[in-house]
Amino acid sequence: MNDDDLWLDALLDDELDAAASLALQRRLAAEPALQRRFDERRALREAVRAQATRHAAPDALRARLTQMLPPSASERVAPSSRASDARGSMTARARLARLARPWAAALAGAGVATLCTLLAVDPGALGWRRGETIASQQTAEASEAVSAHTRALLVERPIEVASSDQHTVRPWLSARLNFVPPVVDLAPQGYPLLGARRDVLSGETAAALVYRHGAHVISVFVKPAGADAAEATRVVRGFNVIERTQGGLAFCFVSDANPRELQALADLVTPLAGK
Amino acid sequence: MNDVGRTAFAASVLPHLDAAYNLARWLVRDGHDAQDVVQDALVRALRHFDGFRGGDARPWLLAIVRNAAWAWLGARRPGDVDVPDDELDAALADGAPPGDPETLAIRRAERLEIDAAIAALPIAFREAVVLRELEEMSYRDIARITGVPIGTVMSRLSRGRHLLAAALRPTASRSPA
Repeated sequence: MNDDDLWLDALLDDELDAAASLALQRRLAAEPALQRRFDERRALREAVRAQATRHAAPDALRARLTQMLPPSASERVAPSSRASDARGSMTARARLARLARPWAAALAGAGVATLCTLLAVDPGALGWRRGETIASQQTAEASEAVSAHTRALLVERPIEVASSDQHTVRPWLSARLNFVPPVVDLAPQGYPLLGARRDVLSGETAAALVYRHGAHVISVFVKPAGADAAEATRVVRGFNVIERTQGGLAFCFVSDANPRELQALADLVTPLAGK
Repeated sequence: MNDVGRTAFAASVLPHLDAAYNLARWLVRDGHDAQDVVQDALVRALRHFDGFRGGDARPWLLAIVRNAAWAWLGARRPGDVDVPDDELDAALADGAPPGDPETLAIRRAERLEIDAAIAALPIAFREAVVLRELEEMSYRDIARITGVPIGTVMSRLSRGRHLLAAALRPTASRSPA
């Protein structure tokens, strides 16, 4: 399994926005191997949906519930029609609900809109450059950070608090974390802060600050440092990753921005640790 | 709660009784135990119905059922819910490599095989698969129901599907896991 599977699943589940969906479909058209994997995923889903047992509530359970509820209410505890396949109507209802789901809702929030625009403009920002054979030295941690970064690009809310105002973002994070990450808007230096969210890395809650640099989105993961680790710079699945420990905090910078640009942001952010 | 309240409760919640039972049944993997779990859950739901502010009652109820099932398992079968993450990763690593088109083989899989493959998934993957494939919940609703971030829902669902695909491939490439 790798990140491609997350994307394929999200497409299958109708959870991608229009731009990301289009970009992925273009990629499927160009990559037969990926298309085969998508077909396999879809076949699996069809088989599961068609075959897996949907257990209907037994009459004995309904009888027990009638004792909890008044007579007028318990009339509603009618026998199930689910045993014979009642899911036709359920499926139709789910489809209607999906149709009714407003696209606008998926795009709500200025930060999210910005990211969607980036996805539309630059599918490369998703790390979908083909023919990549970058010899990459990976640690599980860096790989996980890259997964978190790409996941964040494809979900509806990559940012839980969308603000360029560090005085909004910092209290939001410190109210939710047991450490305080440095939060600073670096728009004057060319790295505007888009917002932040919480994420989970190696089972620990991390702050994820989201910056933009030109057409690139940069995720900065921050969590309390375990042991002091040496600085590391890696390429993981086409993303540049810089890990650095400073002031008791472990930082991980992830982006498809070039290493020098990423380094420049790291040099601006990490000295603020613990201040 | 008075009868009016109970009637409102019944109207909101009982249409989702099959979904509630289905989730409980897949989580505890026993019909009789699942009935106990659903009854527990409905007692809790009734107690907290005042806190339900309308909207779709299904994810709200399924979250209560899910928590009741985990609590029930935690008390009686702790081994079912105490699965360390690295064990989940190991389960995944044992799977067959992706890329081989096994479309036809999977399509021909029988109901019993598919049920067995789902039942064999670690619980965190199983609940994501059941909520997505059988209850057709969105990622966001699954995140609410299971109490994890959307990104975690995505990776669990993806891993769950990967393990299912590996289990349903023809025996030649089937892993012992």
